[in-house]
Amino acid sequence: MSRHQVPWLVLLSAAALGTATAQRPIDYDYSVVRQVRVDLRDLGYPPVDVIPPEESEIRALAVAPNGALYGATSGRRSHLFVLFPVHGYVQPLGYLEGVTTVHRALVISKSGDVYIGASAGVDNNGEGYENYAGGQLFRYTPKEDERKPLRVDVACPTTPLGIPVPKEGIYTLAIDRERDILYGLTYPNGHFFSYDIAQARFTVHGTVADKPIPGEKFEKDKNISRALAVDASGNVFGSGEGGRLFRFDRETGRLQRLPLAAPTVPGREPYNRVDAWTDDGRGLLYGGTSDGYLFRLDPKRMELRNLGKPLNQYRIRGLVYAPNGKLYGAGGDDDEMVRLFSYDPVTGAYELLGFLDVNRRPYYSWHAYRVDAVAIGDDGTIYFGQAERISKLYLYYP
Amino acid sequence: MSCVALTALLLLSAWALAAQPPARTVRIDHRVFPGLHEMDGAWAALFAAGDGKVYAGLAHHGSVGHVVYYDPKTDTMHDLGDLGRLTGESMLRRGPQSKVHAKFGEGRDGRIYFGTHAGWWFNYARFATKEGYPGAHWMAYDPKANRVIDFGLGVPNEGINTGAYDPVFNRIYGLTHPRAHFVYYDVATGRTVDKGRINNFESICRTLAIDDEGNVYGSFGLGGVFKYDPRTDTIRELSVRIPIREKGVSLGRDYYKSETAWRTLVWDAKTRRFYGVEESATILFSFDPKAGGDGEIRRLGQLAIAALADSREVPYATLSLALGRDRKLYYGASGREFDYSGSAGVAVSHLITYDLETGKVEDLGEMRLEDGRRVLGTNAADTGPDGAIYMLGAIEVRPKEGRPLEAAGTIGGVPYRLALLIYRPR
Repeated sequence: MSRHQVPWLVLLSAAALGTATAQRPIDYDYSVVRQVRVDLRDLGYPPVDVIPPEESEIRALAVAPNGALYGATSGRRSHLFVLFPVHGYVQPLGYLEGVTTVHRALVISKSGDVYIGASAGVDNNGEGYENYAGGQLFRYTPKEDERKPLRVDVACPTTPLGIPVPKEGIYTLAIDRERDILYGLTYPNGHFFSYDIAQARFTVHGTVADKPIPGEKFEKDKNISRALAVDASGNVFGSGEGGRLFRFDRETGRLQRLPLAAPTVPGREPYNRVDAWTDDGRGLLYGGTSDGYLFRLDPKRMELRNLGKPLNQYRIRGLVYAPNGKLYGAGGDDDEMVRLFSYDPVTGAYELLGFLDVNRRPYYSWHAYRVDAVAIGDDGTIYFGQAERISKLYLYYP
Repeated sequence: MSCVALTALLLLSAWALAAQPPARTVRIDHRVFPGLHEMDGAWAALFAAGDGKVYAGLAHHGSVGHVVYYDPKTDTMHDLGDLGRLTGESMLRRGPQSKVHAKFGEGRDGRIYFGTHAGWWFNYARFATKEGYPGAHWMAYDPKANRVIDFGLGVPNEGINTGAYDPVFNRIYGLTHPRAHFVYYDVATGRTVDKGRINNFESICRTLAIDDEGNVYGSFGLGGVFKYDPRTDTIRELSVRIPIREKGVSLGRDYYKSETAWRTLVWDAKTRRFYGVEESATILFSFDPKAGGDGEIRRLGQLAIAALADSREVPYATLSLALGRDRKLYYGASGREFDYSGSAGVAVSHLITYDLETGKVEDLGEMRLEDGRRVLGTNAADTGPDGAIYMLGAIEVRPKEGRPLEAAGTIGGVPYRLALLIYRPR
């Protein structure tokens, strides 16, 4: 062997060894959710045309009759955005003037108009409400949104419709699309109201909680459900004081406190509330509680069944019913890590799907730590809205 | 290629490599931590105080870490105690206080300030949950009273992954793990503030850089830089970018590291600039935070071992960068991807310098102890008042017949333990 051949052999050997060691073994890939079934979207086109940090917490999502997903953010400013599934990216539509918080308060009517309820903050012991005039209800009328340029530092054109309850923020909204009536709860004092779209009229029907939650550092907070459900008959359900369910009877216009409570362990009723609702399209409602329990409510028979606790965590922050017949949800308190689960109503089985992370270039296992809004598209794509200083929209394909 | 041919090829290659001239070496003095040979890692937590004492945070995954200091005047090592006892959590039976994983800092009152970190996540079952790690404590060591002060739990369920102390505003800053929140503890008021999420857990930058006015800088995203201004209590993203070498999936190392952030920086009081290296290819840069509106970043060179610098296998940068009194930067470069027992394999670290006056890079060679043992990796550095360069890292342990092996684990099959490494520039 000549002296000149040795370097070649070294190079060849190094190349062979290099190929063998170039990648970590598969056990380094700890992603829980199958990576062909999850993805994320930035809220615009970074680095410039994107809803910025501190303004990007997604706390409200809804799907329009045409399949477009609308969302609202919270933070220093609230922004409205839209995602058309045919295009697949998030289009910021502008910021909502004077609004900092939109919490579970975005609904879309059958005409496609987007209704947005504002507040000065929620679950914060009433901070920001001393001099607050009250949370406005806004209407945004989409018009060729697909063709609009990205709007981040431009105000979104909306129509203010009024303040349902003075000095109160809008905590959550639901809509009866068939009858074009919006229902809502206010923060911090839990007034239940409705808004008739055709008549452009608010009606306040009463309160769902009167006493503060016992304990320290939330003396101004009351136990109000974070979501409302509308059943097939147009009756509205939520929870109030002591975690007790209430019903708004559409026909009589009465607000009734029911002899049913959101499931929890005995003793925690004053702290437990409905966190999320969904329906199965066949008349049954499913709810998740702030203590992390799932339950089913038959609104005709007024029967509630506790379906147990899918996660060893608090909160069920969003629920949807998927075309495959399963429920999908996200749980975890503000200082925990969000985890996903599914529930099969036929078998009664839970499937724990783990962390919500996306592991693809340029994101290496990018985690959502806090999710505060969940919605499902017409094609079965589940949208998870991240609610942190830096937030993204997650897409999950069951 | 047949097995026989491949074997022959490898043997020939080994012969060819063995025929190479011996590598240049640099002798490193060292001190071990008596009774603490089980400590298995150390990151960033090394600090040479004004009185010459050198403080170190030693990590023990699955158990409690220790804080120690070395007194060069008496050549003695002192153990301030285990972090479970110091935080009052010895009997808690939750995730232990396993580390000080961030830089120490010295207050105008002479105290040494720091925050603690986790080192056991129960295979992610208790990752940032109420059943897992209780959370980081803000702490200080008071040398005058010789006692450790616990300011209490700072961040529930999370540890201080990255941190720095600012004597101007008397605050301990941190980036939490796993949620990557920017937090600080205001010592005077005893208040912890959480400014929210900055990044993702796999790309939390490992150094918060603080200038002489108390402004705090960190990196995020694809080489981005943010600035926290304590006067306005706001975070702003700057337009400057650090020079990173973008990788594909994957570069052959830890899949969970995006390698898009800076790794470590040092402040130069003379030029009022930072000098730092980024993670992906140990690219050296300067960062002048005062230039223009958003500062100015300049690429100066590369501090990886030259033979690896352009290769796909260039090791992930270490946290071992210090500015010597001789106006040279001293960097502990890994020979292979180094993360203690999680290292890609065994290799010897090199000591590499960069002369700030001439711009010359010099590889002083493989770091070897006085008895020829190898320095297998380092991950912290600082400069003593007398100009000594201190590093914290893993040294080879050679088994001695009839005596128990005092090692924390193995790196590529070679037993190792932690040691304080000392290099005295001429």
